[in-house]
Amino acid sequence: MQQLNPSEISDIIKGRIDNLNVTSEAQNEGTIVSVSDGIIRIHGLADVMYGEMIEFDGGVYGMALNLERDSVGAVVLGDYQSLAEGQKARCTGRVLEVPVGPELEGRVVDALGNPIDGKGPINAAATDAIEKVAPGVIARKSVDQPVQIGLKAVDSMVPIGRGQRELIIGDRQIGKTAIAVDAIINQKGSGIKCIYVAVGQKASSVAAVVRKLEEHGAMEHTIVVAATASDPAAMQFLAPFAGCSMGEYYRDRGQDALIIYDDLTKQAWAYRQISLLLKRPPGREAYPGDVFYLHSRLLERAARVNAEYVEKFTEGKVKGQTGSLTALPVIETQAGDVSAFVPTNVISITDGQIFLEADMFNAGVRPAMNAGISVSRVGGAAQTKIIKKLSGGIRNALAQYRELAAFSQFASDLDDATKAQLDHGERVTELMKQKQYSPLSVAEMGVVIFAAEKGYLQDVEVSKIGDFEGALLSYMKAEHGDLIDQINESGDYNDDIAASFKAALDKFVATQTW
Amino acid sequence: MAELSTLARPYAKAAFEYAVEAKDVQGWSDSLSLAASVAQQPAVEKLLSSPSATAAKQAEAVQNICGDELATACQNFISILSENRRLQLLPQISQQFEIMKANLEKAVDVDVVAASKLDAAQQKALSEALSAKLERKVNLQVSLDKSLLGGAVIRAGDTVIDGSIRGRLTKLAESLNS
Repeated sequence: MQQLNPSEISDIIKGRIDNLNVTSEAQNEGTIVSVSDGIIRIHGLADVMYGEMIEFDGGVYGMALNLERDSVGAVVLGDYQSLAEGQKARCTGRVLEVPVGPELEGRVVDALGNPIDGKGPINAAATDAIEKVAPGVIARKSVDQPVQIGLKAVDSMVPIGRGQRELIIGDRQIGKTAIAVDAIINQKGSGIKCIYVAVGQKASSVAAVVRKLEEHGAMEHTIVVAATASDPAAMQFLAPFAGCSMGEYYRDRGQDALIIYDDLTKQAWAYRQISLLLKRPPGREAYPGDVFYLHSRLLERAARVNAEYVEKFTEGKVKGQTGSLTALPVIETQAGDVSAFVPTNVISITDGQIFLEADMFNAGVRPAMNAGISVSRVGGAAQTKIIKKLSGGIRNALAQYRELAAFSQFASDLDDATKAQLDHGERVTELMKQKQYSPLSVAEMGVVIFAAEKGYLQDVEVSKIGDFEGALLSYMKAEHGDLIDQINESGDYNDDIAASFKAALDKFVATQTW
Repeated sequence: MAELSTLARPYAKAAFEYAVEAKDVQGWSDSLSLAASVAQQPAVEKLLSSPSATAAKQAEAVQNICGDELATACQNFISILSENRRLQLLPQISQQFEIMKANLEKAVDVDVVAASKLDAAQQKALSEALSAKLERKVNLQVSLDKSLLGGAVIRAGDTVIDGSIRGRLTKLAESLNS
C-alpha cells in the first residue's frame, strides 16, 4: 500500500480547499510562439513588466527579460520540456522573489530558494525581490570593523572589513574556494552569517563544500545557494542575486553577513548564453554590453549601512546598529590572464583582490597568495589593532625577499645584510603557509607574527618553521590562555602585551630546542 | 508570428492613415479583408510564395481575383506590396487594420466562452459590465463549451477573465499539489 503523507489528512485538505481564494481577476495572457534552449518567445502579454514572473501551463514559471514590440522574450526557470508552441502564458504581476530570513540558515537551496537538501520545506516568514537597488550614498557608512578570515596571509596583508568587496582571483584548482570556505568556518561564533553561492560548479564540489562546512560546525550560520552546472542557465544567472537578497536581509536589520559568489565567471557565461539566445548583440568575448552592469549592480549591494538606515528600515525596532554585507566574489582566470574582460571588470568594481598564483601553489606556498599584487583598498581601516601594529613588516619582508631572491640567484657571495634579509624573507614565506580548515584566532596570529617580527625565527631551520609554529601555539594556549583570551576579546596591542609576548616567547625558546 | 506582424505594421499603419484621411475606413477594411482571404487561398498562396512568379504577375493575380471590388487606391496598395514582395503579409495587415479601426471606434471584440447558453438579458448585462470596465464599445461573440462545467471565460485581446469552474478546479489542483 502507498504511504499517506501527513498533508493528506482530510481536515487539512478540507481547510486548504476552504482557504483557496479564487477570484476571477482580469489576467494578461499570451501565446508561446517559440521554445528554444530555455528561451521562450511569447506573442501577446501586452502588460508584462520587465523581470516579471510569467506562468506557463503545468506550473512552470519564467522571467520576462526582453520586451519587444510584438513579442516578449522570457527565460524558463526550471524544466522546459513540457512547454510547446501554442500554449498559453500568463502574467502574474509579481517580480521574482526568494524566501529570506533565519529559517534558511543551515540549508541548501536552489536559485529560487527551494530546499534541495532533503530536510523538508523551509517555512520562511519573509520573501524579498531578487533585483533591488543598492543603498544610496546617504545610507552608507565607511568600513571600520574587521571580518577575520583566519588566514595569516590574508588577515595580515589584505585585511577585509565588514561591507567590503574583496575579489579572490586565480586559475582553476589553486585554492580559491579553499579561502572562501576557511572564511566561512572562521565566522563560527562571530555572529556573521554566511551565504555561499555556488554557480555552475559540479554538484559533487558543492556537496563536498557542504560536507566540510558541516564537519567544522559552520553550516549552522550558513546558507548555501547552489545552481550547479546542470541547472538551466537562467538559474545560474539568478543565483548570485538570490543569495544577495538573502544576505541583505541581515544587512538591513543591523546584522553582519558575508557572501561568497563562487564564481562570477560562470555567472557571466550563463548570462552570455541567455543574452545570445535572446539575440542581444554580442560585444567583446561575445559578452553582452551590460555584463559590467551585471556584476557592478550585484556587488554594489554589498555595503555597510549606517544606523539611521537600519532604524528606518526596521521602523525603529533596531536602533544604533550598523549593518553590513561583505562580499567575496571569486573569479577564475585562464592561465593567470587578469586582462580578460570579466576579470578586469570585477577587479575594477571590487575594493581589492586576493591574487592566487599557480607557481606559488606548485611551490607549496598555500594559500598561494601573491603578496605583491594582492591589495585591500579599504580593509586597513578595519584591521584589528594588534595585527595592524605587528604585520607592517610582513609585507615589506616578502616584497624585499622576492626582489632579492631573483637577484641573488646570479650572485655568488652576498653581504651579511642581504643574507639576513633573504633568510628572514624565506622564513616569513614559510610562516605564511597555513593548512586548510585550520583558521587562527587574532591572538594566535598575533603571537606568530610577533615571533617573526622580533627575530625568534632566525635560529629555526626553514623546514621546521611549521612545527615551531604549532608548538608555539599549543604552548601559548596551555601556559598563557588568559592572555590569548584577553587579546581575542579586545584586539588591543600595547606595551604590556608586547612585554608578555616577549616573556612568553623567551621562555618557550629557552625550554625547547629548535 | 511575431516577425510577420513586425513587417506588416508599417503597411497597415500607412493604409489606415490613408483610409482615415480619405474617410473610407469601412471601405478599406472590407477591401483588405477580401484581399487577405484571397491571399489565403491555397492556389494564391502557392503563387505568392513562388520565386519564379514576378512581382507584377503576383499583383495582377490578386487584383484580378478581387475584381472590381477594390478601389484604385487599394489596387495601388497591392502593387506596392508586390513590388516589395510582401503580398503574403495581407492577412496580418488586414488583422492589424481591424485593430486600429477598433481603436479608432473605441470598440473591442470580446469572445465569451460559456458553459451554458446565455440568454439575451445575460448577454446585455455582460456587455454593459464589460464596456464599463474596458471603457470601450463591446462586440460580444458568444460561444459554448460544455467542458468549462460552469461559468464563463471572457477574452478581450490579451486580457482574460477566467470565471469558469474548470479554471477554478485547475487552480485548486495546483494549490493542493504545491
